[in-house]
Amino acid sequence: MKRNGSRFAAMILTGAMAAAMAVPAVSYAGDTDKIKIEYWHCNSEEQGGKTVDELVQKFNESNDHIEVTAKYNPDMYKGLMQNLQAEAATGSYPAVVQIGWAFLDYFSNNFSYTSPQDAIDKFDSEDSTFLSDNFLPNVLNLAVNSKGDQVGIPYSLSNPVLYINKDLLKEAGVSEDGPATWEEVAQFAKAVKEKTGKYGFYMQEPADFWAQQALIESNGASMLTKDADGKAQASFASDEGAEAMQLVADMVKDGSALHVGWDEGCQSFIDGNCAMLYTTIARRASVQDGAKFDVATVKSPVWEGKDRKVPAGGCFLAITAQGDDQIQAAWEFEKYLYSVESMAAWTIGTGYVPPRKDVADAENGLKDFLAENKMMNAAIEQMDGVVPWTAFPGDAGLQAEQLLLDMRDQILGGQASAKDAMTSTQDQINELLNAQ
Amino acid sequence: MADQKKQSVLGYVFLIPSLAAFCVFMFYPLFYTVYLSFFDWNMIQPQKKFVGFQNYVILLRAPNTWKILGNTFWYIVILLILNWALPYLVSFVLSFVVGRMRGFYKSALFLPSIISLVVGSILYTWILNPVSGPVAILLKPLGIRLPFWTKTDGWVIAGLCIITTWKTFGYNLIVLLAGISGVSPEVIEAARLDNVPLRRIFFDIVVPMSSATGIYVFIITIVQGLQYVFTPIKVITQGGPNYASSNLIYMSYHNAFTLFKTGTASAASVLTMLLFVILLLLEFRFVERGVYYEN
Amino acid sequence: MKLPLDAGGMTDRDGNSKTQGTGETGSAGAAGWHVFLILYTCLILFPIAFAVSNSFKTSSDAYNTILELIPRRPTLDGYRQVFAKLPFVRIALNTFLIAASVTACKTLTSLLAAYSFVFFQYRGKKVLYFLMLITMFVPFTVTMIPNYLLITQMGLRDNIWGVALPQMADVLGIFLLRQAMRGIPKSLIEAAKLDNIPDLKIMKDIIMPLVRPAVISTGIIFFINSWNEYVWPVLILKSVEHYTLPLALQMYISAEGGTDFPLAMAVSVLTMLIPLVLYLIFQKYIISIFAMTGVKG
Repeated sequence: MKRNGSRFAAMILTGAMAAAMAVPAVSYAGDTDKIKIEYWHCNSEEQGGKTVDELVQKFNESNDHIEVTAKYNPDMYKGLMQNLQAEAATGSYPAVVQIGWAFLDYFSNNFSYTSPQDAIDKFDSEDSTFLSDNFLPNVLNLAVNSKGDQVGIPYSLSNPVLYINKDLLKEAGVSEDGPATWEEVAQFAKAVKEKTGKYGFYMQEPADFWAQQALIESNGASMLTKDADGKAQASFASDEGAEAMQLVADMVKDGSALHVGWDEGCQSFIDGNCAMLYTTIARRASVQDGAKFDVATVKSPVWEGKDRKVPAGGCFLAITAQGDDQIQAAWEFEKYLYSVESMAAWTIGTGYVPPRKDVADAENGLKDFLAENKMMNAAIEQMDGVVPWTAFPGDAGLQAEQLLLDMRDQILGGQASAKDAMTSTQDQINELLNAQ
Repeated sequence: MADQKKQSVLGYVFLIPSLAAFCVFMFYPLFYTVYLSFFDWNMIQPQKKFVGFQNYVILLRAPNTWKILGNTFWYIVILLILNWALPYLVSFVLSFVVGRMRGFYKSALFLPSIISLVVGSILYTWILNPVSGPVAILLKPLGIRLPFWTKTDGWVIAGLCIITTWKTFGYNLIVLLAGISGVSPEVIEAARLDNVPLRRIFFDIVVPMSSATGIYVFIITIVQGLQYVFTPIKVITQGGPNYASSNLIYMSYHNAFTLFKTGTASAASVLTMLLFVILLLLEFRFVERGVYYEN
Repeated sequence: MKLPLDAGGMTDRDGNSKTQGTGETGSAGAAGWHVFLILYTCLILFPIAFAVSNSFKTSSDAYNTILELIPRRPTLDGYRQVFAKLPFVRIALNTFLIAASVTACKTLTSLLAAYSFVFFQYRGKKVLYFLMLITMFVPFTVTMIPNYLLITQMGLRDNIWGVALPQMADVLGIFLLRQAMRGIPKSLIEAAKLDNIPDLKIMKDIIMPLVRPAVISTGIIFFINSWNEYVWPVLILKSVEHYTLPLALQMYISAEGGTDFPLAMAVSVLTMLIPLVLYLIFQKYIISIFAMTGVKG
């Protein structure tokens, strides 16, 4: 009996809450009646958390009807996703959440969200072209799921660039403006090795395949393709893919490139032992602070005659608010986050690239900042080449990621040729994908 | 008689707190892990799927498993050299060869034992950087180039063992010193007067007379060493490159908390346990009877 | 072999060169060994000096003058940033709370168990003792999944008490304190029992004073081990506010934004500070109690 009683109470409560939500926001006097919404993010103090707090505080002060609370979720986007799942089970949702690229499909399949265009049409119709006015189509496309829906708007964006030690390049007798193509990278690295005895190149090797995706997809390979039935298949082991990986493997083999851990490689670039470093723009500040030589960044190299493709790191913002006034408030807050000033603050605080147009040149945007931090420019200029970061679908995804890392070690360690290692890894991944 | 009974009841009562803790967090998990090793599960699915011995079959069929078992073997060998043979020798030297500064050496060599291995791992990532670290810089003029040890088969195990040794050497040294202190100085003095070479004194007198401690440290080096080395593996290499630095312990962890395959993770843990049980039997056979039940 | 009454007695034997071993041989061999030992000691202590030195450098000095132990332009920036970027006090407090509660629990349960093993006669004693000794040989991987699930079910994941809870007993403490208590003459206890003094009072008033040094050293070992613990907290703790020091340190490896070298060194130094201070104060206790773990009693 008791259990039934409590269930009954819960029903009444839920009903009351639903009723409360359905009632349009009426403005009463006093703070207590502000619409309260939550913003969930993954920015630790180290990586932009301070900026989140500043932005939220500024927003709360600048308006009289919405109060945003920022909530930090540790363990990055995976941690946020787990927390969101737990929260959704209780029936309550935050209003705005950061979703990592890898979780795009998972999120849109499992949670109810409001597409940004829907929110705009409903609550901000005079600005109905906000998205197309302010974002590059390929950037917007990052937040489109496999069904073709615009799930959210890209927010934190990083991409890989080539950091160069101009002094070392000059010493090696090659152009100090750095290489433009991967073929040149190899050639420059060799020159550095021969003329200075130092290492020419290091490509980041953390526990993901992000940078290598840029390398092989720029050569025309694709990590994943859909077959006729719409089923995703790994496809990186093409000739172009193998050629790209083999280039780096050969550099390691002849001693012109390093094959070490991420932090070790960055350390060797920063202290002047390695002339070129291929890593995320998010590491700009730490490189800039540590390096004593003439350091610069250039855009991610291309392959002779081919287009640049750089995977995006970071996240997009999605609206998970339920109920009209919550959604309206969420959109108002989100629009504020995408304003030129907020975007500029976000870039300065995090080292990410602004996803929207016009921020870089605007006086109230990043104009001064970029004049001082020229190393950001390469990342901003290559925004037209940004592509989604490949996530292997389903439960097999985790294992597929691991197989890619193992493959990278085999190739760079010289245990197998790029073609062989990639072919066998591709087969294994497809076997996993087909099994599920 | 009643008093006798009260005594034994009280004896049990005093034991209850630790026994209860062991039962809940040690013995029950042990059996549950064995149970889990027969199921296919990912910690989230509501249903565990019974698969019999399949997890073991999968594990033993995977080529990586044999690589990892091989790595485990090499970890054991290197750890035994650096963490057992070397401190054995040093403890002998400290006891019978050098007299001055004995206390200083002991305190200094023991010091890293109280420092977190995460700290050790971080420091050594910088110190052993094959291009930019102090070691590499000092060796460069001698024409010695460090291998890219974090990414090279073989070297990666050696590097991680060095880090682990930094932490555990001092502890083993102290234990061995105490063991050697059981050897009477008069015997050594007499041997020395007879001009017996130090090497013979060590192998023919000291080692046999301190063998109980020696075997204890031998086994502890394997059992604790394989677990200690987990921290630098997790922090620095995550088992890479291509499983070259993974061992049985890391393999379980990796399956459980990176791939969420509790079945294979548990099966790997059970195999590790089996290995340790064999060592435990050895320990019991050679040492335990003498050490713990002497009275 | 008769055991001294307390660990203090042991330190004497251990720390004093007269009672053990022989004097310097005085030969060239001894000089050679000194050279080896000094080099080896420097090698072992170098990482600590390295951390301290670089924690006081500017970022670019740390990268570019890595060999110099004396910073050219000493700065506290590294430390300032630790406090600015991390809830450092909170993290240190978490570490302390876990270590302190684990130490208290383990010491108490070990005392009780050791007392039971030494001063009571009952059936199954040897089996029970053996059962506990076995736990020394159980690799953590065998218990980690069930314990993780258990703590999660109890709602203690991402909670410092979830880290502390499974660590209420430790066979090492039982073993060490049992060793220490075995040196106490049984007649002393029997006399007290004849006087009908309750066991807890006997423990408090008779045993404790006799084994206090051993209890202190065991406690310090527990504390330091828990302070440094990594594997279990890394599974349980998820938010920075709940982190312990070794976990906070781990954030400085392969971080997306790059590793701030002096900052990482500063956190390292702060992490080892407490154990180092404890070691410097209680050095003799610690060494002597560790020495006991392998000695037959």
